[in-house]
Amino acid sequence: MEKQVLRFKVNGDEYEVFIHPKTLLVEVIRDHLGLTGTKRGCETVSCGACTVNINGASVKSCSVLAVQCEGLEVTTVEGLEKDGKLSPIQRSFLDHGSFQCGFCTPGMLMSATAFISEAKNPTKDQIKESIEGNICRCTGYNSIVRAIEAVTAGKYKEE
Amino acid sequence: MINDFHYLKPASLKEALAMYAEHDDCKVICGGQSLLIVMRQGMVAPEYLLDIKHVKELSYIKFDEKDGLRIGATTTHREIEKSDIIAKKYPVLVAMEEKLASIQTRNWGTIGGNLAHADPAGDPGPVLIALNAEIKFGNSGGEKLVPLDEFFVDYFETQMEQGDLVLEVHVPAPEPKFGCAYQKFNLLDSDMGIVAAAASVTLNADGTCKDIRIVLGNAGPIPLRVTKAEDLLKGKKLDDALFAEAGTIASEECMPVADIHASEEHRRHVLGVLTKRMLKKAFEQAQTAA
Amino acid sequence: MSHAKYNVINTHVHNIDGVAKVTGRATYTFDVKLPGMLYGKILRSPHAHAKIKNIDTSAAMALPGVKIVVTGKDTLGVKQGIWRRYEELCDEQVLPLEKVRYIGEPVAAVAAITEEIAEAALDLIEVDYEVLPAVYEPLEAIKKEAPTIHEGVERNVNVTRHIEWGDVDEAFEEADYIREDWFKCSGQAHMCMETRAAVSSFTPDGKLTCWASTQSAYYTQGLLAGVLGLREGDVRVLAPYVGGGFGGKFELDAAMFTSAVMSMKLFKPVKVCFTREEDFIASKRRTPMFYYVRTGIKKDGTFCARESRMFSNGGAYTGMGATALYLSGFFHSFPYKWRGYRYDGYRVYTNTLPSTSMRGFGAPQAMFCSEQQIDWICADLGLDPFEVRRKNGHTEGYEVPGQAFIQSCGLEQCINEIEKWVKSKGKLPANRGIGISSCGFMSGGIFNWFDSPYSFSSAVVTINVDGTVELHVGCQDIGQGSNTTMAIIAAETLGVKVEDIRVHSGDTAHCPADLGAWGSRQTLMAGNAVKMACEDAKKQLLEFAYAEMGINIVYDLDIKDRWAHIVARPERGLPYVDLVKKALRAKDGQRIMGRGYYTPHRKGMISPAYSYMMQAVDAEIDPETGKIKIHEVMTAHDCGQPINQLGLIGQLEGAASMALGYAYLEDMPMEDGKLMNPNLVDYKVIKAPEMPEAGIIEIDTFEPEGPYGAKEAGEGLTNPTAAALGNAIYNAMGIQMKELPITPERVLKALREKKEQEAQK
Repeated sequence: MEKQVLRFKVNGDEYEVFIHPKTLLVEVIRDHLGLTGTKRGCETVSCGACTVNINGASVKSCSVLAVQCEGLEVTTVEGLEKDGKLSPIQRSFLDHGSFQCGFCTPGMLMSATAFISEAKNPTKDQIKESIEGNICRCTGYNSIVRAIEAVTAGKYKEE
Repeated sequence: MINDFHYLKPASLKEALAMYAEHDDCKVICGGQSLLIVMRQGMVAPEYLLDIKHVKELSYIKFDEKDGLRIGATTTHREIEKSDIIAKKYPVLVAMEEKLASIQTRNWGTIGGNLAHADPAGDPGPVLIALNAEIKFGNSGGEKLVPLDEFFVDYFETQMEQGDLVLEVHVPAPEPKFGCAYQKFNLLDSDMGIVAAAASVTLNADGTCKDIRIVLGNAGPIPLRVTKAEDLLKGKKLDDALFAEAGTIASEECMPVADIHASEEHRRHVLGVLTKRMLKKAFEQAQTAA
Repeated sequence: MSHAKYNVINTHVHNIDGVAKVTGRATYTFDVKLPGMLYGKILRSPHAHAKIKNIDTSAAMALPGVKIVVTGKDTLGVKQGIWRRYEELCDEQVLPLEKVRYIGEPVAAVAAITEEIAEAALDLIEVDYEVLPAVYEPLEAIKKEAPTIHEGVERNVNVTRHIEWGDVDEAFEEADYIREDWFKCSGQAHMCMETRAAVSSFTPDGKLTCWASTQSAYYTQGLLAGVLGLREGDVRVLAPYVGGGFGGKFELDAAMFTSAVMSMKLFKPVKVCFTREEDFIASKRRTPMFYYVRTGIKKDGTFCARESRMFSNGGAYTGMGATALYLSGFFHSFPYKWRGYRYDGYRVYTNTLPSTSMRGFGAPQAMFCSEQQIDWICADLGLDPFEVRRKNGHTEGYEVPGQAFIQSCGLEQCINEIEKWVKSKGKLPANRGIGISSCGFMSGGIFNWFDSPYSFSSAVVTINVDGTVELHVGCQDIGQGSNTTMAIIAAETLGVKVEDIRVHSGDTAHCPADLGAWGSRQTLMAGNAVKMACEDAKKQLLEFAYAEMGINIVYDLDIKDRWAHIVARPERGLPYVDLVKKALRAKDGQRIMGRGYYTPHRKGMISPAYSYMMQAVDAEIDPETGKIKIHEVMTAHDCGQPINQLGLIGQLEGAASMALGYAYLEDMPMEDGKLMNPNLVDYKVIKAPEMPEAGIIEIDTFEPEGPYGAKEAGEGLTNPTAAALGNAIYNAMGIQMKELPITPERVLKALREKKEQEAQK
């Protein structure tokens, strides 16, 4: 019942927040740090809109207690661009029209980013599997798969 | 809404077990992929929450040709999925993990947490039982090792008592001429199975069945071994007719519960089909195994 | 007139909201946070049908942190409905006074300083209900002995619709073969990624600002003003980014009205966001329908007559149900010429979640029945399903008697393309089949049941001195990309680049009224308004240019690619930016402004223009488990002139994913009026691994009613898929699926019945 201090990195910056241990990571990100790029779309860890990266691995932030991130590095969609330059996957999304309403997009980008960092010449099926945990109601996924495929095929270089 | 709880963060396994022994109304969290859902729904509201996520001693994958595979309880599903040695020696485990929930869940959720949660629809249970696994759990007073198919007791209930922690899963070294297959039936590929079946076959040198295990998922309160069908097939020369018969027995012996996704009849029928198919697949694997 | 080559239209243009959306900068209503903002939660009825005897809010009010609790007593029994012109159809009380009519109906609302406190307060509100007998199915509710859901409404029949042309009985006499079938179509949840959400802020100057996740800021403004007794002009609705709509977000929902009511009482901002569970149980859904279809046909395949009767499960309130009732019956005749056609639709109240519009608007259900039955008739008579459709299909210049005049129509080419594609697949392996379905859809409706005095769409364009353009539109981007589509039309018309255009939308204070994003209206209607406004502005610029350039009277000027020039001699001209500077100075410093608007006049009973398509679904069935695998979807599509290339592909693939979900995955089973799967674990939405390739073949037509020849694309594409899948399964296994969704269990049951029937023969 006592609040405690959580010290962790978000998008490369050190943060210190004072929270109840029951606070979810997504609540710290959105409500305490004001980073509203990460969304919430369900209560059952189903939709993936809250996906962030923890030490490079994609995780649903609605299903993680923030205190478990002590000393870890979290990346959200806001952390993908560098000095106004979009990351390869962000640029690929723009080129392929891989979003419509955009609500699932931050989570989708984080799943894709984690996958791209570890995948070597993935098949289309593997790419589809990489976003299996992210629901999109608008695009039908294929444009997202095409965008990820283009990046893993080397068509986008870091700027 | 999650209740207000006291948060405990042990630095080592010893400290974790000691803290756990100290508090009666205490639950363990590691990946929390099952626990947090029920806590958010208010179904579980412990006074203390013991976080073992960063207890490194329980995170390992070890393989020995004689001893087999040992997986620490806080190993994530993703680590199992990506393990080269598990892919080589127990490919059915990797195949099962690839279809378990989503990558995000596998990145954070653990094998120990999954088994402790004891969901009869869970994927690891039936597969590990088919692989003849044992599970080690313990508390501050000592450890216990039991066959996994004795570990599960009822819906969401295991042999463990307050103060017990899952420590390790041990899968014996695969025998020569061994095969194991698992399939779940669902609408969406990575959903929990509406029903599921795992089968393992060990063949004698002459090709007859030395050992066989048939384990059904979401067919009752715990992963269900269809011993009646196993007894029918043991010692025999296996063929499609026997697989079909085993399937029929499985569809009769199971105890599936109907819900909006499928009626009882459909579940029984599909369990029979899956049993037949997984037996054949395991048998074919065993035949070609080195 | 073929797909002409344009500078901007139908080229690869980035979505203009893309950077905001891929960088997390886009702020949705879900994200809005205002100083001093309170959090609202809604108490919902646990009963399907009950009288409200008393509500005791005292314990809730006493909880520290709670600022207000409101009930029907605070909203005075005010009724509302989207069919504003018809009082009897405005049957939903903004918080009920006397009774509740479905499980999940909002009964009270709380505002508190945190979400947690607001939720805790809900448990402290005591409602005294007198439970009444309830009825859940339309065919039960229409019986004489059924409980009355709305006083004065006999047999619970909410609305009826009748469509008829030709001498139907005579046409049946002409038929050589008559077939009749019953079908049962399920409901579907919109399941937008952003749940219903609103933030209302009422200030001491008597003005209300409301951020809403809405498909029509104008409708939200009008409806809020109406129930709150405010002038429309004193209500400002903001919808900068909306996380999906699909037909479920242009009515007044509980997030909007409870946040507004509470804010009005407190003079503080109040935020209400539905949980996913609330979104499932309490936001209106696609209409479940029972269809009886009787079709008469000549043995040479000529369609003679069709007579259909449809009973829809309206749920507890009207919503947009009246429109869905009509459109379903109309598109049930599409896209064929019938000598005699008769449709009777009955929308019946029940004590379940109200049904309303959802992408397709009754047409997916109508096609599921019509297109399957046509294939079965072809099988019965040994006719070719492509040939029969070609023979009876709509053609350019056809008039659907008394209903619609068809101008552009690429149906025949669509059928030809799909026929080629199917034939190219050759013989398929066992248990695998390809099924087809053709259909058409409206490009915006001619209806004004909202009683708007404004043009259906309007646009204002303003050209700045540096050549950048402010485009103010009322159309709402909910993800379909209308902002980008309008920017493309503006850029093409003005002769500039898309990056020169800034689109202003989603703000009733700054944008003209527009009916909003529903009924596939925006590309045609808002597009026409934008084109008109830009032509107006360009004309003013060119008038100045004519004078400035002093050229021979026979020459015309135009602007392309930021270059104002003589059309016949394009090398002679001046940069657009220079022209703007001079024109502005000539107008005493006033920016060039253009106005445009569009309202369909005398365009029949439904729409000014219709899209056409044929879709094929390649599916495989596991004969032992019944599991369905979709291999591929291919659509030949006539939307006139495509405008937004990336948007169009996105609409096709997105529509296919939603329509496939409707066909075989999504369901809303209820037990005694209670939804059994109000979460994303049990409500199955298609995910990436299940999504097949969905190819598109665009057919070249030009629609005179649309901007640059454009028609709708995106809603019509949800219509054919359930039927095409049903036909695929029929071709693969010989079974007829008459109920949605097509589940493995239903497939196995049909296979068993077929086996039994064959054994009996």
